[in-house]
Amino acid sequence: MNSIIEINNLKKIYSNGKHALNGININIEKGKFFGLLGPNGAGKTTTIGILTGLVNLTSGKIKVNGLDTIKDYKQTRKMIGLSPQEINLDVFFNIRELLIFQGGYYGLSIKESKKRVDKILFDLGLEEKAYSKARELSGGMKRRVQIAKALIHDPEIIILDEPTAGVDIELRHLLWDSLKEMNEKHDKTLLLTTHYIEEAENLCDEVAIIDDGKIIAQGSPKDLIANDGESQINITVDNWDSSLLPNFNSSFQDNIVTIKSKNSDKDTPHIINKITDANISITKLDIRKANLEDVFIKLTGKKLSDD
Amino acid sequence: MINKSFYTLVYREVWRFLVLYKQTIMPGIITAALYMVIFGEALGSRIKLENNIDYIIFIIPGLTMMSVIGQSFANSSSSIMQAKYLKFIDDYLIAPVSGFELSMSFIIGAILRGVINGILIILTCALFTSFTIEHYFLSLFFLIVVSCAFGAIGVIVGIVSKTWDSVGVWGTFVFMPLSMLGGVFWSIDMLPESWAYIALMNPLYWMINGLRYSMLGISEISITFSIIISLLFAIIFTILASIMFSKGYKIKS
Repeated sequence: MNSIIEINNLKKIYSNGKHALNGININIEKGKFFGLLGPNGAGKTTTIGILTGLVNLTSGKIKVNGLDTIKDYKQTRKMIGLSPQEINLDVFFNIRELLIFQGGYYGLSIKESKKRVDKILFDLGLEEKAYSKARELSGGMKRRVQIAKALIHDPEIIILDEPTAGVDIELRHLLWDSLKEMNEKHDKTLLLTTHYIEEAENLCDEVAIIDDGKIIAQGSPKDLIANDGESQINITVDNWDSSLLPNFNSSFQDNIVTIKSKNSDKDTPHIINKITDANISITKLDIRKANLEDVFIKLTGKKLSDD
Repeated sequence: MINKSFYTLVYREVWRFLVLYKQTIMPGIITAALYMVIFGEALGSRIKLENNIDYIIFIIPGLTMMSVIGQSFANSSSSIMQAKYLKFIDDYLIAPVSGFELSMSFIIGAILRGVINGILIILTCALFTSFTIEHYFLSLFFLIVVSCAFGAIGVIVGIVSKTWDSVGVWGTFVFMPLSMLGGVFWSIDMLPESWAYIALMNPLYWMINGLRYSMLGISEISITFSIIISLLFAIIFTILASIMFSKGYKIKS
């Protein structure tokens, strides 16, 4: 396995005594789109804070491309671009100047930086705002500038901390397309933290579910759902015989039969046949496919997000 | 070797205060000019000094040093506070630079602002009276070393302060009184003996005396000690500021 990020037994205890990370282990392969999924306060931001140098670790080790993030921090930081969750734009300069400086922080010359800035401003649809100051931009534009800052030095690894938090649906989908392109066309490794199920399912090749500072499951979204998710088949009927589906976990309330199924595609025709054979009329059929939220609920007994 | 990352950090710091010259350069010059008019021209003629030097000339090094101290401290402390307040300090903390390089970028910005202010104040004072600088390089040495010391103190205060108020407290309640009590407007022989001993405990007195000697060739105390104390301040606080950045004290969780 060609790991680009190796996190081993990472622990973080904050000065107030809070155990933010309780010995997490994560391996991310080069070129993967990796998602760190968990509710607020689970330890996602702490993990990437330690990875990038914003947070001091308590114990454990992180390697990026085989290099230690503490001993070899100058090399590892050059390989990483971070788009933090909170907007943090320098107000003294316009967007173009700000990005030129950002390139300079990572060792680009002014000339190289200017060339990269013009390309990134174009790619992210920011050319018209190049000479605006951060305070003149909308929330969505500011978010794009945040991502531009992470890309300016063309890093191998792009870390995005809740990149679509608080942005509208249209921009969210636009950002998803840009992120997919970076991963697929430009072969970047992406590490995304999110508490949006749809985002993790749509974008990530692999997901680690984190809760209370522990990784509770890791795998492709499809595998995680297949292992721990259950679809819900809701069938509205005119009457019900509770002995009809002995092999299924089902309940009946307000003329709706709710059946839990690991494989709804296979089970639904079989269930419908059973019901119709018993001369029960079906007036409505609704199938809610299992998703990562169900996996999270099953593993932790709580919901992933309040949204 | 100076790397591009460090060069960019310094460049940003210098550009920031040059762009904001109305807030960073002009006030020091105007204040010094007002002191010259009021204390030098209006009151100075009534004050006699033992070494027969004109009072208006005597106060020039003190006024210069007072401004250098204030401006270099304000540059680094406000730059760090702003970066903390708007959270773009994270951009510096994740950049591939050491804690020493980070603190030095702020300190060099502060040195340049302090030295530019100092030179412009000396030039402004030259409009009011005529004087000759005795030791050019030593004068520049004191401007640089004292700016470095207070730039480094500004870094430390910027890092530990939680609010703008707590930064302001240092200027108002610490540096301004120490400058005033550091011999800006008086010679030690004007003071009662007990006050003269207290003045000697004030490090700013030694710094101001150092610049006064290098500019005017007069010294009330040992110039060697002035050099040593100024250098010690610059070195100790620069090391302290660099350690704080390296450890992430109060700026990393």
